[in-house]
Amino acid sequence: MTRPTKIMLFLCNWGPHAAFLSLQDDKRDIPEEVLMLRVPCTGRVDRSLLIKAFAMGADGVALVGCAPGTCRYGTGTRTAARNAHDTGKILDLMGIGQERLRAATFLPDQADGLLTFLHVFSDDIRKMGPTTITSLATAPAADDPATLPRDEVARLIATYDIHACQDCGKCSSACPLALVGKPFSARGIATAVINHDLYQSGVQENVWSCLTCGLCYQRCPSAVNFPAFIKDLRHLYRQQSIQGDEAHGGFLHSLMRSMASSEMVPNRWRNLPQDLQIDQRSPVLFYGGCAPYFDIFFGKHLDVQTEKILFDGIRLLNFFDVSPRLLTDERCCGHDLLWSGEQKHFGQVARLNVERLNSLGITTMITTCPECYMTFKTTYPDQGLELNFEVLHLYDFLEREIDRGAVEFAALDQAVTFQDSCRLCRLEDRAELPRQLLNRLQPTGFTEMRESGSAAMCCGNTAWMGCDAYSKAMQVKRLQQARETGAELLVTACPKCQIHLRCAMQDPFRGDELQMEMLDLTSVIAKTIRWK
Amino acid sequence: MNTTDSTVATQQEIIITGFGGQGIILAGRIIGMAASLGDNRESTLTQAYGPESRGGACNAQVIISDRPIHYPYVKTPHILVAMSQAGYDKFTDLLTADAILLTDQDLVPKTAAPCPHYAISATRMAEGLGNKMMANIIMIGFFTAITGAVSKQAAQDMVLQSVPKGTEEKNTNAFNKGYDYGVSTLKGKEKRAAGKTGAIAS
Repeated sequence: MTRPTKIMLFLCNWGPHAAFLSLQDDKRDIPEEVLMLRVPCTGRVDRSLLIKAFAMGADGVALVGCAPGTCRYGTGTRTAARNAHDTGKILDLMGIGQERLRAATFLPDQADGLLTFLHVFSDDIRKMGPTTITSLATAPAADDPATLPRDEVARLIATYDIHACQDCGKCSSACPLALVGKPFSARGIATAVINHDLYQSGVQENVWSCLTCGLCYQRCPSAVNFPAFIKDLRHLYRQQSIQGDEAHGGFLHSLMRSMASSEMVPNRWRNLPQDLQIDQRSPVLFYGGCAPYFDIFFGKHLDVQTEKILFDGIRLLNFFDVSPRLLTDERCCGHDLLWSGEQKHFGQVARLNVERLNSLGITTMITTCPECYMTFKTTYPDQGLELNFEVLHLYDFLEREIDRGAVEFAALDQAVTFQDSCRLCRLEDRAELPRQLLNRLQPTGFTEMRESGSAAMCCGNTAWMGCDAYSKAMQVKRLQQARETGAELLVTACPKCQIHLRCAMQDPFRGDELQMEMLDLTSVIAKTIRWK
Repeated sequence: MNTTDSTVATQQEIIITGFGGQGIILAGRIIGMAASLGDNRESTLTQAYGPESRGGACNAQVIISDRPIHYPYVKTPHILVAMSQAGYDKFTDLLTADAILLTDQDLVPKTAAPCPHYAISATRMAEGLGNKMMANIIMIGFFTAITGAVSKQAAQDMVLQSVPKGTEEKNTNAFNKGYDYGVSTLKGKEKRAAGKTGAIAS
């Protein structure tokens, strides 16, 4: 922890940059750790850039723009303040601390004020020392990214038995991306890998936009595990510096990559509602997942409250007299890192998680996130990382407890339909589990969508990779299917389905046509469960 | 006479009633043997013979006590387990306010007991487990959890000893199903009494 601190200064071109220039002209003592980046408007420094600065090694970030009312573009100052506020909240959750990000405004003639600000900030950051984020060394770029190492590709072909592909096209006839018209072909990728055409841009685009939803694997007569194949192929691409298109400016990827820092101590569960019963000595751990980060990040555009799912999950545990333990330094499970090809970061996150979790002495981990569930339950052991406790999905726990009896459900005054989570229903092959619970509820009606269960359509994106107009088209199609059932409530089983489908509902051209109330199954159960 | 009080404290009189063929007598036998062989207490069983075994109303009377039992017939049941409406109707007048009534809720739809009443869909649950013959075992589990007249271990052991070979696992499941339902029922009752009906505080 002895390295010198670094401060990234995003400086608006119009107002404060003039002040900064005067400082330079007068040879004033600008703190040497300040690295200035001149930007056209601080409002355009989005949250992904702010978090990326930290992920890439900044210990403090200053966002210095024009005083309110002097923004050349009108809304820049306000946007910058909002972005800094959101990112600060995320930094708090990560245990980095929002005080490392500071937003300020100066007029062109306020050089002294700017200098004082920079000195105070640098002193503060020096006192705090470097952040706990350490960036893993990136693989050296390949000499020629146009070629992929033949032996690695051959290993991939052998592992997933790609030669078994009969080129029958069942995958394309099932693939939700292909069905909304995207030039996407799973067997095309299979052929390309055999013909060593993986460097072609169309193939690359396809590899990065695959949903890894598993529908093609379900239909494949040769049982080629396409999602897992894509997962490894992306890793191969990353090694050759062939990058995919990270959605949301890579905000979530920067966040997750930072989680691979061994010194980092996240600071979770600070806003727990009063009515929840927690017991830090309990042998049962409730693992939340990334929902609180999502709510802060997506709250800017969408009204999503996925953290409420976690609280309702804990309420349900309390209902059955389980007061779970919570981990304030809970990290991300690493699912999205793995599925976006970042095996190195995933490996590090997983190793840190296993070390920490195995040291707790718990018997059971319960989670309501299908991705956390799959990752801990299946992926970790597959990668040789053994956990010394049982991993349960909250639905398993609920089904077991409700089945004991003496519990009933209040009537739900809505007709419902259900959006499957791809991880739970296909990759874990447990489509029946949420349905057992759904069938216990008392809605005015429960109608499945045209494609449901193991044939269900994806919410449009996985691992925050390659979101495009086709993702949107898929979401619109899915919402239309949901509306077709006549349901008034769309029940979901994954926080990401909520985020993605809610996003598609915002389409101004479609007005109310796609609007639908959405609730997670956990919340629906918490709302209606009763002791008999 | 102060013998009444000590009788109540140490002696429990139980009537199990239902159709012939439901395993009513076997249930009585298991409960009585669990008390004597498992819990080392005294117990007696008297059973109604006759056309019952061909499907009529039938009953088993069990007395469990810490002292030798001098008279094996039940006059005032402390616990009435009813698995048929006819059986319930026959004994309902004997129930007092401090008795406990257990019923199969699908088979005894009409009740008006002056005492605490706990119901379970034993037969339906048994069908769910694959064989409605196990309704009596589910009821024994439920009985054990609700009344505590015999210990869980004793009842479970006796179930295993009394059922046909090869069906032990199924019957253990059935017993646990009834027992869990009983525990949940008591818990639910406690929660409701404490005003905690749902998961979200309203």
